[in-house]
Amino acid sequence: MTFRERLQAWRYNFVPDHVIGEILSKRWTDNAIPFIALVVTVATFGSLIPGFFKLYSLQESTRQLGEFSLVVIGLTVVMLGGGIDLAVGSIFALSAFAAVSTFFILEQPVWVALAASLGTGLICGAINGYLIGFLRLRAFITTLVTFIIGRALYDILVVAYGSQIQMSMASSDTWDFIGDGTVLGLSVPVLSALILAVIVHIALTRSRPGWHVLAVGGSRRSAHNAGIRVRQTVFLTYVFSGLCAAAAGFLIATRLSGAGPGTGLGLEILALTAAVVGGNSLGGGRGSVVKGLMGAVIVLVMTNGLIRLGYGTGTNQMVLGILLAVAVTIDIRWLKNRHKVLNEVYVAPVYLRMGETQSAVPGSGTPFELNNRLSAADPIGLGELEGPEDVILDREDNLYCGTRHGEIVRFFAPDYSRSEVFAHIGGFPLGLAFDKSGNLLSCVGAMGLYSISPQREVRKLSAETRRTFTSVVDDAVLRDPNDLDIAPDGKVYFTDSTKRYDAYDWALDSIENRATGRLLVYDPKDGSTRTLLDGYRYTNGVCMAHDNKSLFFCESWACRIHRYWLEGPKAGTAECVIRDMPGYPDNVNRASDGSYWMAWLGMRTPSFDLSLRHPGMRKRMARRLPQDDWLFPNINTGGVVKFTEAGEIVATLGDLSGQAHPSVTSMREHKGYLYIGGILNNRVGRYRIEGADTGWTGNDSYWGVRS
Amino acid sequence: MILDPILDIFRGRAITIPPPDGAFHPNTALDDAKAFAELPDADNLCRAGDRLLASSNDGLYALSDERAPDRIETFPAAITALAASADGTLAVALDDGTLTEAGATVELPSGVGCITALAYAPDGSLWLANGSDRHSVSGWVADLMEKNAAGSVWRRAPGGSLTRVADGLEWPYGLLPDGDGAVVAESWRHRLVRVGTNGVRPVLEHLPGYPARLSPAAGGGAWLAIFAPRNRLIEFVLQEKHYRHDMMASVPREFWIAPALSSGNSFLEPLQCGAIRSMGVHKAWSPSRSGGFVVRLDADLVPRSSLHSRANGHRHGTTSVIESGGRLLVASRGGNCVLAGEAL
Repeated sequence: MTFRERLQAWRYNFVPDHVIGEILSKRWTDNAIPFIALVVTVATFGSLIPGFFKLYSLQESTRQLGEFSLVVIGLTVVMLGGGIDLAVGSIFALSAFAAVSTFFILEQPVWVALAASLGTGLICGAINGYLIGFLRLRAFITTLVTFIIGRALYDILVVAYGSQIQMSMASSDTWDFIGDGTVLGLSVPVLSALILAVIVHIALTRSRPGWHVLAVGGSRRSAHNAGIRVRQTVFLTYVFSGLCAAAAGFLIATRLSGAGPGTGLGLEILALTAAVVGGNSLGGGRGSVVKGLMGAVIVLVMTNGLIRLGYGTGTNQMVLGILLAVAVTIDIRWLKNRHKVLNEVYVAPVYLRMGETQSAVPGSGTPFELNNRLSAADPIGLGELEGPEDVILDREDNLYCGTRHGEIVRFFAPDYSRSEVFAHIGGFPLGLAFDKSGNLLSCVGAMGLYSISPQREVRKLSAETRRTFTSVVDDAVLRDPNDLDIAPDGKVYFTDSTKRYDAYDWALDSIENRATGRLLVYDPKDGSTRTLLDGYRYTNGVCMAHDNKSLFFCESWACRIHRYWLEGPKAGTAECVIRDMPGYPDNVNRASDGSYWMAWLGMRTPSFDLSLRHPGMRKRMARRLPQDDWLFPNINTGGVVKFTEAGEIVATLGDLSGQAHPSVTSMREHKGYLYIGGILNNRVGRYRIEGADTGWTGNDSYWGVRS
Repeated sequence: MILDPILDIFRGRAITIPPPDGAFHPNTALDDAKAFAELPDADNLCRAGDRLLASSNDGLYALSDERAPDRIETFPAAITALAASADGTLAVALDDGTLTEAGATVELPSGVGCITALAYAPDGSLWLANGSDRHSVSGWVADLMEKNAAGSVWRRAPGGSLTRVADGLEWPYGLLPDGDGAVVAESWRHRLVRVGTNGVRPVLEHLPGYPARLSPAAGGGAWLAIFAPRNRLIEFVLQEKHYRHDMMASVPREFWIAPALSSGNSFLEPLQCGAIRSMGVHKAWSPSRSGGFVVRLDADLVPRSSLHSRANGHRHGTTSVIESGGRLLVASRGGNCVLAGEAL
């Protein structure tokens, strides 16, 4: 091995590149940029301004922050619903005026003032909501108009009644407490903002109305098609925003005990900046309350900090404008390019030097030598079937296979010309096995382990195992359950081939070649699933040995067959039985003569084997070429190989013409015939095995002869 | 994205190939065409007087409508190029680097041993394309994968000796003399150039494949045979120095990630994702190492139309095309036949 190759091996096998892709595929990475901005802002101003973190200073700024956060939460909800609300500033001012005029001029109790304030917000929000939601006017123009009108109204009212308010002698302890007091060290605005934030967060993430808002913001049309009342949902978001602004208006009214011309001036821009800087998408559908709160803190700390550092209003507005511009740019660019970045970095190949293999070329004289015998197989379901990964036969000789449409199709004996959909599961049914009582168990790609009773009831047995401690993406989920077999005690041993790719992208896993395949066991007694082995390169077929003391499973991309011991001195350990085959093994099944059949889904090629030693090349290939141009293992040629318990190869069957059975993913012996499936094929093949026991069936072999 | 030019420095530029569009609109004309003659490794076609000749390995064959190809001469090595002058003189180049003209060996300058194409100009001068000074013609894949630019074009004026007209070419593979110069198919650079007294000037660039031999068309213009399509994976491998060198050192040549005259014959050949046989279908558009294309160029050498054998076809490795008696004859080296089609 050259020094360069050794270096590559270290570089690509020990640096966890795949984690970058996994982190990027997480939704919470959207929070990363605003969070960093938050930390930087607080740290900067905290160190620039002496006494920034002093309690009194914090108390005062947090009061303001509480009120502001209420407004931002309301605006966030509107933005999540796909709208925008510029009227929050004027609603805020009007409801503050409503509160003070009720309290000071009309001399009503505090709760009436609160009601007046909230009522103002409700009406204003309802006007916005009605115009935008039901009359379907443009949100931007509509709220701009209501903002101008509201502001004008407020200016008229303040001029007319300002002096009356100031001269009033009304007072109340409650009013003063709301304006000045603290509970457990927290001021009322902060408390109310926190409570509201928690409620809204739960509502948005875990309640029907919240999901409706997100759905409408994500895509109005899809939401409408899904039966969501779009107009009503939009209406309610504006009402909610109005109420939030009104609550904030009430709080500032109690704090300042008055209303002046400056109340709520420029608030809409501040709130909008906060919501966007926090990472809420202007397009709707993406965002959260937490993001809004982060944005609120950033904006307030920045504006207050700039004022305390002695900068004027102009500078302040300028900084806000720039902040908004940067946030909008990042929002749009990120949204647009995130999946591209993810696509480019997700495939993170590792180094592997495959062992030298014996040739499978016809005439090479090795046990693996392929031939053209399978091309003589009779087709079953030609042109009707798509993707029968595995095939199995019941005691009445009917044939079952999965299809890529998520169905289990049954072909009727004896001639298999008639078929019916036996059950619809969804996903991609792969491995099949009958249990003792005749239930058909299937590993369903992208779903999990399922059982179908003879009465066609589909039941989920398992879809998860224990999560590993260090996983970034939840690896408890079974992404590619592939094949299974059932022990006499009813335990189901099955494989989950990869943690990195979904079932439909199985071939991509060969490019990456990362060892993330698992062997799992499902216990029907308590319904639990345990991981027995982890870290294989695409675990695939599983087959109980004839004596049920061990099982065989194959590791496709490493071209190996392993034996896992269930009992005896080596119980719980695996050993490699066959290594360095010239083909990639898939399913393994019992043969009538005490040996085993193994399917080859494809063949190794020298160019692909070499590329496994050049992970950097594969990584660049994945980045720079469209997927259709990527180098793959040769899965246009496969075959069936028979091996003994000791790992000796005794027979091979192939279809070198590639016309009938290019890639073989499974085979099942039944009464002297071999039934052949292929995940990319459009048929099941029926091949007569010379000299095989014409009475032997898998069901008898597993569960005994039934009279 | 605006940052792409900066990111490209670190990740390399996206690899693109010209789309099969316009005159290169995909069709199945070559696969639909009638096989005029079955001939293993049918390579260079030429018309000598009233005889139609084709080369196949070391044999020279006469083709006719009535009979199977008739072997008229056997040479000590594979024939790599053929040409006949107006008076019927036949020039034959062999893979061992020799050139015979009317049976007599022609003295070649040193460095000329890889004759990929021969042509007689109307004035009687002989043009000769030397693919590379590092490989014989049969070593063409290695020359491409080594990224050599060691080809040259020579001319022998009537009564004169061979003089070099151009060098530094990347595998000149087709010749079309006109006036005092010649149009040359420069294969590894996917283009046609005009060589002559004014040096080398590109006349047609960004071909979607590797151009091979040229021949004049009736009614002006020319026919161009393209023996393999461009393939993004191959172009990528050409940029991957370490992988490419390891591949050339350790992988048998027929299994390289490189253009080929025919493909899909062995499961040891490289396979690309798009070429996976799915539901019994090998997609016509799939990336392929081999293909067959014949292009009609007008008098200004602008492509006008083309005939294809696509990824799922078999008439691949089209290295030579001539128009004869109102018919178009195409040698498909990968398809082991000579095709006859109506001239476009």
